[in-house]
Amino acid sequence: MNLPFALSSMTFLPLIGAVILLFLKKEDARLHRIVATVFAALTFVLSVALFPQFNAGTADMQFVEQANWIPAFNIHYHLGVDGLSFPLVLLTTFLTLISIIASYGIDKRTREYFFWFLMLETGMLGLFVSLDFFLFYVFWEVTLIPMYFLIGVWGGPKREYAAVKFFLFTLFGSVFMLLSLLAIYFASGSVPGSERTFDLVKLTQLASTGQLQLVGTTGMIIFLGLYVAFAIKIPAFPFHTWLPLAHVEAPTGVSVILAGVMLKMGVYGILRVCYPILPEPTRQFLPWLIGIASINVVYGAFCALAQKDMKRMVAYSSVNHMGYCLLGMAAVMGNPNAAHAGLSGAVLQMVNHGIITASLFLLVGVIYDRAHTRDIDAFGGLAGKIPIFAGIMIVQAMASLGLPGLAGFVSEFLSFLGAFGGSFAGHDYKPWVAFSVLGILITAAFLLKLIRLVLMGEANPKWEGKMPDMTPRELVTVLPLLGLTIFLGLDPGFALRLMDTTLAQLIRIVSGQF
Amino acid sequence: MSSLILIAPEIGLTLLALGILTAEVFAPRVRTFWIRLAVIGLLAALAHQLIFFVTGAVPGAESLGISPINVKGGWVEYPLVYGMISADSLAAFFKLGLLAAVILILWLSIDYREFKESALGTYAALMLLATVGMMLMVESTDLLLTVLALELLSIASFILVGYAAGRKSSSEGAVKYFLVGTLSTALFLYGTSFYYAYFGTTGIQPLLQLAAGSSGSDLTLMMVLVFLLSGIGFKLAMVPFHMWAPDAYEGAPTPITAFLSVAPKAAAVGFLLRLLGHHDALGITPLLAVIAAVTMTVGNVGALQQTNMKRMLAYSSIAQIGYILVAFVAGGSLGTQAVMLYTFLYLFMNLGVFAVLVTVSNQTHSDEVPTFAGLYQKSMGLSLVMLLFLLSLTGIPPLAGFIGKFTIFAAVLTHPSLLWLAIVAVLNSVISLFYYFRIVQQMFFKEPADPIQPRYSASLVCCLGVTLFITVATGLFPDRILAWVRNVIGS
Repeated sequence: MNLPFALSSMTFLPLIGAVILLFLKKEDARLHRIVATVFAALTFVLSVALFPQFNAGTADMQFVEQANWIPAFNIHYHLGVDGLSFPLVLLTTFLTLISIIASYGIDKRTREYFFWFLMLETGMLGLFVSLDFFLFYVFWEVTLIPMYFLIGVWGGPKREYAAVKFFLFTLFGSVFMLLSLLAIYFASGSVPGSERTFDLVKLTQLASTGQLQLVGTTGMIIFLGLYVAFAIKIPAFPFHTWLPLAHVEAPTGVSVILAGVMLKMGVYGILRVCYPILPEPTRQFLPWLIGIASINVVYGAFCALAQKDMKRMVAYSSVNHMGYCLLGMAAVMGNPNAAHAGLSGAVLQMVNHGIITASLFLLVGVIYDRAHTRDIDAFGGLAGKIPIFAGIMIVQAMASLGLPGLAGFVSEFLSFLGAFGGSFAGHDYKPWVAFSVLGILITAAFLLKLIRLVLMGEANPKWEGKMPDMTPRELVTVLPLLGLTIFLGLDPGFALRLMDTTLAQLIRIVSGQF
Repeated sequence: MSSLILIAPEIGLTLLALGILTAEVFAPRVRTFWIRLAVIGLLAALAHQLIFFVTGAVPGAESLGISPINVKGGWVEYPLVYGMISADSLAAFFKLGLLAAVILILWLSIDYREFKESALGTYAALMLLATVGMMLMVESTDLLLTVLALELLSIASFILVGYAAGRKSSSEGAVKYFLVGTLSTALFLYGTSFYYAYFGTTGIQPLLQLAAGSSGSDLTLMMVLVFLLSGIGFKLAMVPFHMWAPDAYEGAPTPITAFLSVAPKAAAVGFLLRLLGHHDALGITPLLAVIAAVTMTVGNVGALQQTNMKRMLAYSSIAQIGYILVAFVAGGSLGTQAVMLYTFLYLFMNLGVFAVLVTVSNQTHSDEVPTFAGLYQKSMGLSLVMLLFLLSLTGIPPLAGFIGKFTIFAAVLTHPSLLWLAIVAVLNSVISLFYYFRIVQQMFFKEPADPIQPRYSASLVCCLGVTLFITVATGLFPDRILAWVRNVIGS
């Protein structure tokens, strides 16, 4: 049984909340918080309500909605979710709720803050559920504007520069996506018996049955146009330079969304568009992808190791962790088992990284709210002063460095497993994988360094009496994430089952054995 | 005689202009009344065009015994008026846009801060005459009539640019505009004389026939076209004929700046579409492609350094014309659609920006970019409206400007050999973000310099409402207007 308009309601509910906010008095911060929380919570409830009805046994799209939008270009309002997008939808609604609660501390221009926050949620959800490439692009761009304001108004000292840099980088990528999507549109018109279309499902079908052949130089150019857009978002080396800046300047709640959800939009784009619609160029690109993945892993980790600012460190750890995602994705052409492990690892890593990094940002935010500095050397011995904080911090850091039993381990292991068994056209991935393992080591090094310098050692007398332990509100934001980190570490199958069928189908399409 | 019914709006507006000029002498005190009267006249003309556009026939033409010669895309085609004027759907489309634009600009003028003392009757009359000039431009099928139309438009515009009498820069802008304007007409006239020598007529039909055939072009004809293009190029402010724009724009009263940035350009585009719609066969496509690329880039890069809103918008409008030229270069059915669509939408979103500028600067008395500082605090609504216009000009979905750019890129990509132009165009979109968002930064990131609230009058609200409605509605539901445009060019 399908709820009618389930996905539309879920996507546009935050937008309604945002519009309501605009009509409230601008001084009443409490009311703004309540409205934002209520709408984010309702959205979350709606997405969870879909969970029991979601059929993990099929690779088809579910909760589909379709309507004509712009017939002149054969553009449809087409929504649906499958095993790839559904986990990300849940992640989005969940993290948005958490970060709205985490943003209660914002006391400047609260009405606008929550307005943009809810707009952002609509954009992100819309992106994950849209099945028409045009619609996908619209939502892709829609997410930029709220993020620009959230960083630019409520950010740190260099916020305006960070906001513009973020916007420019992403827009630079997305205009190329626009050209590529038009090229795909025109190409689909040359298939006999097919209209020009932006429909991702139809395009996937045309490509997997070999009717739509985007190969050779043309295919590669189209692929690269899309790849640049997605890689900037991930961010894959060498397009990562906007990320540390944006993260450091953004307020805590925004960092959570930026790292937790927005980076996944890039990976999601590659898996949703490049892999199924451009299988041939994807295959040709895989040797590059594995190289980029390794650089992300190792270089991201080294950069994190060098940071003095805790938030910068966590930001660079995102570069490193998204590298694991890419590593798993590159395995798609290996033997089928390796491919499956790799892709599952990649998608699971998106979810896990969302949860773990979100907690780390929240925890850094907790310290920053008290001390107004994030300098790693300014602290010490916090474990003795604020044990609850320290305990949670240690668990999440361990999850981030891949300790078995916690969420991060499973997805990283699967990604490595996949990449290790992966190969393509004589390119052996093993040297790259071996090189990447170095990244795990350094990840462990910088996270342990973080724990040692901040939580262990001599207490800095400067903070005597100024560092109360976590407040109930902070615990409300962090504990659910902690619970999920442990739960997904112990029972990763819970998440993997959702995506198995879809990913198996995706592997068949890319490897051309459809 | 009876065929004059086809150009009844032009005749009516001319009479109205002359009437206002005469009557103002006797009643100089009812200043804004003349503007309101002109708006009523323009609304009537707009209604006339709308009836033609919706029903497909000119009201009253049938009863006067003017028989249609053809029906194209749902619209009746009438015989030419005196062999010089084609009152067809293409002209009607542009006239709709032009009339709407002039109405919006008159609304902006009513409360404009520099017009508190000016004789608004003359102003309204000049505006009407300029409108008639532009209407003739988009429907003329004879280069001599085009010259006259250009002159009517230009002479009215020269005076209008200098209308802020108390300000030196206004007169300076007017003189500069006058000098280049005269040069451009001279070039156009020179081109027309060559054209006459080449074809033995000043009508455009021989050229259209040549372009439709495959006989190709020769050097003489190309020279003719280059002259004509140069003449029109000044009106479009396309590179290399753009130098006058920033000074004239800065000097002119803001409503006239708004006027210059949209209306004459739309008229010139309409004329170009009629004359050179099939430029492939004439051998000037590569030249146009280069001009388009350079125009976009010069406009956008020039805008980066500006601190005065009007200068910035001058460069921005140069860049926007560049995008329209890109679509023009692409040509064909989709390219022509894109030209029309983008011109039409650009008109409204750009006027929207000017409407906000007028509203704000009426209070702050400054046209520098920081005039917008902290607008979010003074008026959240106005700052969000401005944000939408700027996003639309940048080409962010789901707004009108994006639909326009989307169609342009689609048109260009139908020619694989023009991929480079598409890439130049999208990179330019990214550059434009820089300066459009400097305004956004001022509005949302800065604190206001003074607590004065912008004051709205009915006419400003009308202007903001119409431009906002079109910018948002065509962005979300562009199908209606896409269908119109497609029908007009009959594909």
